[in-house]
Amino acid sequence: MDKKLKETILNPILKGNPITVLILGICSSLAVTVQLKGALVMAISVILVTGLSSLVCSLLRNTIPMRVRIIVQLVVVAMMVILVDQILKAGEGTYAIDKQLSVYIGLIITNCIVMGRIEAFALGNKPIPSLLDGLANGVGYGLILIIVAFFRELLGSGTLFGLQVLPAGYIPNNLVILPPFALILLGCIIWAHRAYDKDLQEK
Amino acid sequence: MNTNSNAYTVIYTTLVVVVVAAILAFTAMKLKPSQSANAKAETLRQMMSAAQIKPTDELYATKNAGILQLYADNIDEAYTIGLDGKKSGELSVSKDRIELVDNLKPQNKAIKDGGEARLPVYIFKNGVIVIPIYGAGLWGPVWGYVAFQPDCHTIAGAYFDHESETPGLGAKIKDEAWFREKFVGKTVEFGSEPLFNLSKNAEATGATNAVDAITGATMTSKGLDEALNVWFKAYEKHLGFGAFLNTLTETTNAEEE
Repeated sequence: MDKKLKETILNPILKGNPITVLILGICSSLAVTVQLKGALVMAISVILVTGLSSLVCSLLRNTIPMRVRIIVQLVVVAMMVILVDQILKAGEGTYAIDKQLSVYIGLIITNCIVMGRIEAFALGNKPIPSLLDGLANGVGYGLILIIVAFFRELLGSGTLFGLQVLPAGYIPNNLVILPPFALILLGCIIWAHRAYDKDLQEK
Repeated sequence: MNTNSNAYTVIYTTLVVVVVAAILAFTAMKLKPSQSANAKAETLRQMMSAAQIKPTDELYATKNAGILQLYADNIDEAYTIGLDGKKSGELSVSKDRIELVDNLKPQNKAIKDGGEARLPVYIFKNGVIVIPIYGAGLWGPVWGYVAFQPDCHTIAGAYFDHESETPGLGAKIKDEAWFREKFVGKTVEFGSEPLFNLSKNAEATGATNAVDAITGATMTSKGLDEALNVWFKAYEKHLGFGAFLNTLTETTNAEEE
């Protein structure tokens, strides 16, 4: 694999992580991380939406009129999100999760990562790198989502993927369930990430 | 080609929107049957959870076909009543053609403003009578199913659901098992006011038709309280004053004749 492609894939997951470095997509990472199952479905949905939207916009990049490009991108992203939502509603196993995620699937449309990657990358690059960039950004987002959800479900409900892991005597911490704790946890993850990667620290 | 001319922009955006609309319409059409099947199974799950047919967790682990089977095995009779409390139609309960009144919004409107209402009554083989409730929560509708013992008086179970109540606060009406379990054993005196009381410190009054509201979810609790009272009232003529028992004897008599 050539170096540039590798960079495209790895950068969004580590050095340019959309949540911990670019601080994008914070709202949904607070809202859907109470349980791992929901976070996982959300992560997969976002990966699909960012990947496919970037691919489509990259294919259209030479034909899109510059004056209305944001609107065209929005239409493409909205279509992908509605498709994902409809498919989740149609699956026998995913119906309940879709109900639980409720509005947040629809709100992927407003997730800054999706539009941000199309504007910054897909409009200036070929389809395949754009697809990879979109997918990788989704993975970077999903990774943080799952880390946050892991701690919140473990401490907030004593379970992981709905299975009891902490002893029955454990009293669930209600603060962990509430969104403010996700923000605190996110702060800690950003702290750890910056402590690990010195390049991210401001001089 | 000049991609910045007005004509190009207009034609391009129109084309994009038409194509996207076509794709979405096609998928919606293709997926509609499985989506409705899921929604129907979910309604049946909620009803059977209220009727205490099986532990709720087990119900939610069962596939759609299993749910339909379980319902068909356990249901005795289902019918609709009008606002006058009289039976207005039958609902099929055979496994291949289960009929439900799952669109509660127009019924709720009819109860409030008058008009043609189809209020469903589901009677299970264990004698439990399940009726729906529907009302407005904080962000969207709240609804649920309440199961009565054969005496039409004691609540056997309940299940509540909502569209978009606040997670961790109003959403507790659905998420927390202890909340719905509180309703078990409560009684509803048809003919008295209020029929049910879901409010702050309600349990402290010692009334048998009272359940404490959820802290931090005042509006959701209020909405649910109203939904319970409005719908219980609508069923009062049918379930209250021994009217229901009379209809049962009438039908038995008719069958004997």
